[in-house]
Amino acid sequence: MAVLTANSRARRGRRRATRVPPVVLAFVLVPLLAEGFWVFWPALQGFYLSLTKWDGVSPPQFVGLANYREMLHDSVFHTAALDTVLWLALFGGLSVVLGLGAALLLQQERRGVGFYRAALFLPVVFSLTATALVWQAMYQPDGLIDRTLSGLGLGHLAHPWLADQNTALYAVIVPALWRQIGYVMVLYLAGLKGIDPALYEAAKVDGATRWQQFRHITVPQLSSVNAVVLSVIVIDSLRSFDVVWALTRGGPYHSSELLSTYMYSTAFQSLRLGYGSALAVVIFLLAFGVIATYLVRAFREAD
Amino acid sequence: MTSVNTSSPTSRRHFLAGAGAVGAAALMSGCVTSGSTGSSSQSSGGAVSLQSNLSSPQAKSAMQDLIAAYNKRGGTKASLNTVASETFRTQLPTYLTSATPPDLMTWYPGSVADGYARKDLLLDVSDIWQTGELAGYSDALKKLCTDTAGAKVFVPASYYWWGVFYKKSNFAKWGVQEPKTWDEFIALCKALKAKGVTPIGLGAGGGTAWVASAWFDYLNIRINGAAYHRELLAGKHSFDDPQVHKVFDKWAEVLPYFDPNGTALAFQDATTAMLNNRTGMMLIGTFFADAAPKDQLDDIDFFQFPIIDPSVPVAEEGPTDGYFASARTRHKAQVKDLMSYLATAEAQEIYLKGSSGTSLPTNPKAKDSGTPLVKKGRALIESAADVTQFFNRDSSDALQPTADTALTKFLARPKEITSILTAWQRDAQKIWSQ
Repeated sequence: MAVLTANSRARRGRRRATRVPPVVLAFVLVPLLAEGFWVFWPALQGFYLSLTKWDGVSPPQFVGLANYREMLHDSVFHTAALDTVLWLALFGGLSVVLGLGAALLLQQERRGVGFYRAALFLPVVFSLTATALVWQAMYQPDGLIDRTLSGLGLGHLAHPWLADQNTALYAVIVPALWRQIGYVMVLYLAGLKGIDPALYEAAKVDGATRWQQFRHITVPQLSSVNAVVLSVIVIDSLRSFDVVWALTRGGPYHSSELLSTYMYSTAFQSLRLGYGSALAVVIFLLAFGVIATYLVRAFREAD
Repeated sequence: MTSVNTSSPTSRRHFLAGAGAVGAAALMSGCVTSGSTGSSSQSSGGAVSLQSNLSSPQAKSAMQDLIAAYNKRGGTKASLNTVASETFRTQLPTYLTSATPPDLMTWYPGSVADGYARKDLLLDVSDIWQTGELAGYSDALKKLCTDTAGAKVFVPASYYWWGVFYKKSNFAKWGVQEPKTWDEFIALCKALKAKGVTPIGLGAGGGTAWVASAWFDYLNIRINGAAYHRELLAGKHSFDDPQVHKVFDKWAEVLPYFDPNGTALAFQDATTAMLNNRTGMMLIGTFFADAAPKDQLDDIDFFQFPIIDPSVPVAEEGPTDGYFASARTRHKAQVKDLMSYLATAEAQEIYLKGSSGTSLPTNPKAKDSGTPLVKKGRALIESAADVTQFFNRDSSDALQPTADTALTKFLARPKEITSILTAWQRDAQKIWSQ
């Protein structure tokens, strides 16, 4: 509180001064210092480590770009990169479509709508590792899913979902999606609330159909939310790790390997921390590249 | 985006205050983290710190009993710090290389310890092996705890054994006997399958893929011998050698009798399946008994992994657990005193009493839990011409994931064995050249 009053007094006293009050400066610089020390410095070290060969015990050995050259011929890296793209498309695409769908369905204030919103948002609250444990039990041979299938007379479809290379990746996407939809829905709900109802009324007067209203009012009005959703989804896709690691550890034999799980297992299981750091740099560049391109475009349109 | 422009000064001030609070919290938590790592890794006030990965409830309390008994003797004091085993495994290199390391750590002897010893990270404890109860340890254990430079760097505390476990009541019901040879083993599998039972459970799914390595280890030491096995794991042979192909040819002979869910169930679920009579038997270490219901334990028995080539000296897997000390410890004398104590019959009996009691003491004078199962296991290891540790212990923890990938793929697609072994050799080469 003392800080607050000091702050407001400073504002009143120097209404016309251009100098930044020291308290505000401190508020900016102290977190920046903390961020610099705990985030930027380790990140820079990661860049350096990606140019070395390091087992975590001996001193790192500088090898130049050898780690990046190895990636070109590493078939597991290729699998992981492809799976990550697939993950981005499926997990990202479906969570946008279903999240927006849920938001449109639940945007009207009707009786009981709060319950459905809460139900869809609930998975976001759970830890993804705990979620994964529940889903693992469901995917088990003789688990809930297999038993439901055989109960419906579809016993021939029963399957070791997580242990089969053809189903493992998709079986892992489902729990991740189950959680993400609620999150995206909330973002879109907030966006939908911000749209001026007068726009819809005007459209109705002009005889616009439901689809035309959606296409020409809702979608353009949500463009600022889209930027947020896109960033969230790209970042969440590329850092998706916990659910995959808890369910399959990237297996069986790398068939559900993502860049993030491959990075972890290379660095901390194989103890090839140099190559692991190089993978981390690739993940960073991918995330940064996608988001930066989108933001630059979005800002240009805004101008 | 427009909401920022319309927000009142109050909310902005709140935001600033909040941001400041978050920043301060981050700083403070930063201090806390660095403070706690400092104190946990370096013991305070002269007590010897023991970093333990024995985090399962029974083993943890047994370790607490053990350290309490040591502290009661007077003289040097020790403090126990138990870390979750998965965290311990990934952090071990950090512990060993930090400027203020824990004094003593639980881990494995043999190749793994030697790898650290060659980097000068382990304390030479050859002197405590000269006198006291350690001098009476078996020659095999002495050899196991010696590094390539000839120094003793490890003190063993307990070991366990692997075998093909089954339920006595089930074998009686099905009218089948323990097999001795590979042919008898295949005949047993056929007999079980004819009765509608899945003969072999595995348990290499759900995060315990390493269990499949037991099959590779045993087939390799039965066909090519323990010496070849160790050399292979040390990178002196190639995984695409014809000898390794022979291992998988033999494995393919029994593959039809494996549980089709073998790579979908973790070993805990696979042992439950065996105890619930869904599978006939499984190759597993005695640690599975920790999770088995007590009333079932009397019904459990095991047989030795069948002999394939009688001309190959019989080796068994007998993984040994124990302790090594950091070379940078500031309590050299005290840590050696604690290590000598941990090697005594008294200490090992305290540990066995507190834990599940299916492991065996390394001290020849220490009493084991004395059940028929444990006696049979002890006889198995003592009669063996050679004792191997386990895949990761005879090579390195870093090599284990390459085996997991290769073996799960073999179990799913045995026909692709040639390309699997080529890929395994390529992956392993990356680890060896590290």
